[in-house]
Amino acid sequence: MERIHSLYLHVPFCTWVCKYCDFNAYAVLEGLIPPYVDALSREIDVAGAELPIGPLDTVFIGGGTPSLLTGPQVEQVMDQVRTIGLAPGAEVTLEANPSNITGANVEGWLAAGVNRLSVGVQSLQPDALRFLERLHSESDALAAIRMARAGGFTNVSADLLFGVPGVDLAAWLETLESVLAEGVQHLSAYELTVESGTRLGQEVRTGLVHMPEADDQLEQYWSAAVRLDAAGYDHYEISNWARPGFGCRHNLAAWNYHPYLGCGAGAHSMFRLDDGSTERRWNVKGPHVYIKRASDRGRAHDGSETLSPERARGEAAMIGVRLLNGTPAAGDFPTERKQLVTAGLLIEADGQVRLTRRGVELANQVGATFLV
Amino acid sequence: MSTPTHLTRAISVIAHVDHGKTTLSDRLLEYTGTVAPRDMVEQVLDQLDLERERGITIKAQAVRMLYKADDGNTYQINLIDTPGHVDFSYEVSRALAACDGAILVVDASQGIEAQTLANVHQALDHKLTIIPVVNKIDLPQGNPELVREEIEKVIGLPAESVIFASARQGIGTKEILEAVVHRVPPPTGDSGAPLRALIFDAKFDAYRGVVTYIRVLEGTLRPGMRIQMMQTGKSFEVDEVGIFRPDRTPVEDLTAGEVGYLIANIRNVRDSRVGDTVTDEARPAAEPLPGYRHVTPMVFAGLFPTDTEQYEQLKEALEKLQLNDAALVYEPESSAALGFGFRCGFLGLLHMEIVQERLEREFNLTLLGTAPTVEYRVRLRSGEEVPVDNPDHLPDAGQIEAISEPMVLATIVVPSTYVGNMMELSQERRGQFLNMQYEPGDRVVITYRMPLAEIIHDYYDQLKSRSKGYASLNYEVVGFEEADLVKLDVLVAGSPVDALSMIVDRSKAQQQGRRLAEKLKTLIPRQLFEVPIQAAIGGKIVARETVPAMRKDVTAKCYGGDVTRKRKLLEKQKEGKKRLKRVGNVEIPQEAFMAVLSLD
Repeated sequence: MERIHSLYLHVPFCTWVCKYCDFNAYAVLEGLIPPYVDALSREIDVAGAELPIGPLDTVFIGGGTPSLLTGPQVEQVMDQVRTIGLAPGAEVTLEANPSNITGANVEGWLAAGVNRLSVGVQSLQPDALRFLERLHSESDALAAIRMARAGGFTNVSADLLFGVPGVDLAAWLETLESVLAEGVQHLSAYELTVESGTRLGQEVRTGLVHMPEADDQLEQYWSAAVRLDAAGYDHYEISNWARPGFGCRHNLAAWNYHPYLGCGAGAHSMFRLDDGSTERRWNVKGPHVYIKRASDRGRAHDGSETLSPERARGEAAMIGVRLLNGTPAAGDFPTERKQLVTAGLLIEADGQVRLTRRGVELANQVGATFLV
Repeated sequence: MSTPTHLTRAISVIAHVDHGKTTLSDRLLEYTGTVAPRDMVEQVLDQLDLERERGITIKAQAVRMLYKADDGNTYQINLIDTPGHVDFSYEVSRALAACDGAILVVDASQGIEAQTLANVHQALDHKLTIIPVVNKIDLPQGNPELVREEIEKVIGLPAESVIFASARQGIGTKEILEAVVHRVPPPTGDSGAPLRALIFDAKFDAYRGVVTYIRVLEGTLRPGMRIQMMQTGKSFEVDEVGIFRPDRTPVEDLTAGEVGYLIANIRNVRDSRVGDTVTDEARPAAEPLPGYRHVTPMVFAGLFPTDTEQYEQLKEALEKLQLNDAALVYEPESSAALGFGFRCGFLGLLHMEIVQERLEREFNLTLLGTAPTVEYRVRLRSGEEVPVDNPDHLPDAGQIEAISEPMVLATIVVPSTYVGNMMELSQERRGQFLNMQYEPGDRVVITYRMPLAEIIHDYYDQLKSRSKGYASLNYEVVGFEEADLVKLDVLVAGSPVDALSMIVDRSKAQQQGRRLAEKLKTLIPRQLFEVPIQAAIGGKIVARETVPAMRKDVTAKCYGGDVTRKRKLLEKQKEGKKRLKRVGNVEIPQEAFMAVLSLD
């Protein structure tokens, strides 16, 4: 098995589950945080002993809302992580909701070893924030970024959503401009996606909410791309931009098809086996069950699948093409590559491929081509 | 075991579809103890999964019941269950020819329908004693008294002969059995005469070869005899004869009046044709039984594997299915658009659907069927006449002297409120009005002469929807008639798609072309590029539509935990595409090839 250098930790708690969210997240269970942190530490401990893992180059604490964890709670988890071994200069990211970014938390998280903060800004339009059911205000969000930077974070990322009903192109670019003015190192801009199991999905189905037309969504996307390029950000993945040297190393590892361990409720792991096959494994989703299993046994697996080397190569290409600076991952698919180049969706250069503008717009069609 | 002839009866149950024929048969089996209640599954006589699922009977079935009547005698009642659908009307007529009586089932809420009338006429043609039964009397919306009156006035059977029943609740079962033994005459054939047995169905058994369903009308049939099929002339040695109880049970012989089966190492149902007469090769009968007809397919369609590598499998599957289905014919066909496949001939639309479904289900194939068409007779200027069962094979207009198409006599039974709608629809479909008759119970019987091609193009669905479901239809083919027809071609992304060609009435061709292009626009999914759709008559474009290119298909987030789900989603989409047929660069779904069927 290929040695693992990336660790994902999931924190499934939220003060409020926003209506568009289909992640593994739960509101009103914050009381479970202390036993959850214990259970998570136990799982890291057991997995660390069983797997060829470490030293870790990247740790990503995602959610949910991991910023509901206080400095000491993050520290407890990170102490456990350090028993696996943390490489010098490792990237340690924490996802944070602007509402939780206080001076004390910033200090505590930094002290625990977190060195990258990913702030869930989403929007700076008051109407959009209400529509998205975000509990923070636009000024809270900007103040949070400032506080993080003032408190010592030198690597800050902001998450934004575009294609939000009621937000036109000008308003979206205004949001983008304000976030750029804060000097973030990294920016993720996601198209608001309607997932069927969410309340937003329900509202769209019943006609209560109308999503913008594809053309308008793409206009917001490409306008942002032009602006970010001018501001010196590298568009390195479909929804991600970074100042030179600030690409998210944790995600880059996954997109380059390197293995990772995932701990916490509903977390996924990916292992690369010696014969070229891939094993994907996931934990039970519910926090109660997770706490019980992880505390009792140190394991909380709920399912797994193994992809043959052939299918694994297809999956690697499916993910890899999302990297806009090129990927060697489609190397084993000469026929498909040629077909996609002819269709104007891919460009081939130096043994790598990358999506054209049209290819980005139809990235799923491109990705599906490689699946067997 | 053997029953004296005067205690033997042979009956059939006839009904319009859904009036409860098979449920009533189930009750008879139960009541006579032929099937123990614990072995009772619904629709005992429908053996194909497809029959049970769809609630229809495709193949005829026979079963022998023993019934101890009130007069103290034990009667042998042979029940033949027949298919109810118009596609299989010849099978029904043969099954009736094998009987002496018929139980006519009429739904208490639906009353007399087109097939009820057609069945009654057939039964009367065969001089059968008819026992009218009003079924489903337990339904609150039913009106048994009114239906009884209809039976007397429309069919001419005395009201007092009508039995009220509920097959679902078992009401009336005994009365029906008593009526069968007292009203239906015993068989009259002589067991000592030269053998004459009527084949009313045949079925292929993988281990035993063909199992031939017969009724012995004269003479006696025993294992070891050499028999001859009087129409095909082929002869075979009988291995086994037996009866259905309801499973196959061998017996020593079958004598005049008895219903059963024979097994004689026959390898193909074609050698055991429905309607043929089985006789003794050593002592043949002078004349075959009357009424044999060579069954010819009426509806034709191409069947193509969506995966070209399944061609050989499709060929083998058709061969196997044909062993059991003498009405199915096929020959290899190649289409520029769809590749290699087969042109198949069917008895009707239901038969076509069933064959396609069985091929897909029992042989694990994914098929693409083209729109069904009839067989045209084209007289060329050279004087030669050629049959054309594929629109794309229609010769050039310059060579054609005249085109004839098959015509049917259609009988519609409908409440008077909908007469206007029915006439409007039939007129639109080139129908020639023949007759209209008002019957009691607010029923109107309308007859039209119209092209079969119009019937297979969505006529029945339209009939139903324009009469709120009340109209019923029966039809029989009555010959060929010349018509002014042209070929309508379809071009997708600039290339003609042969499988989408159709032959239409000249005066309606342009309108049909427009509708077809509009319809295809809604059926062909967006592709990576823009796809123009054109309809053309004789090279002249008469309609054009465009399917716009796919605008956007991209997932915003694809992180570690999203990969499995996303991959599965894309795999599923890709799997769905296998149901699409790639024609040139364009992926076309099955429904598009059927679009021509519903252009109204």
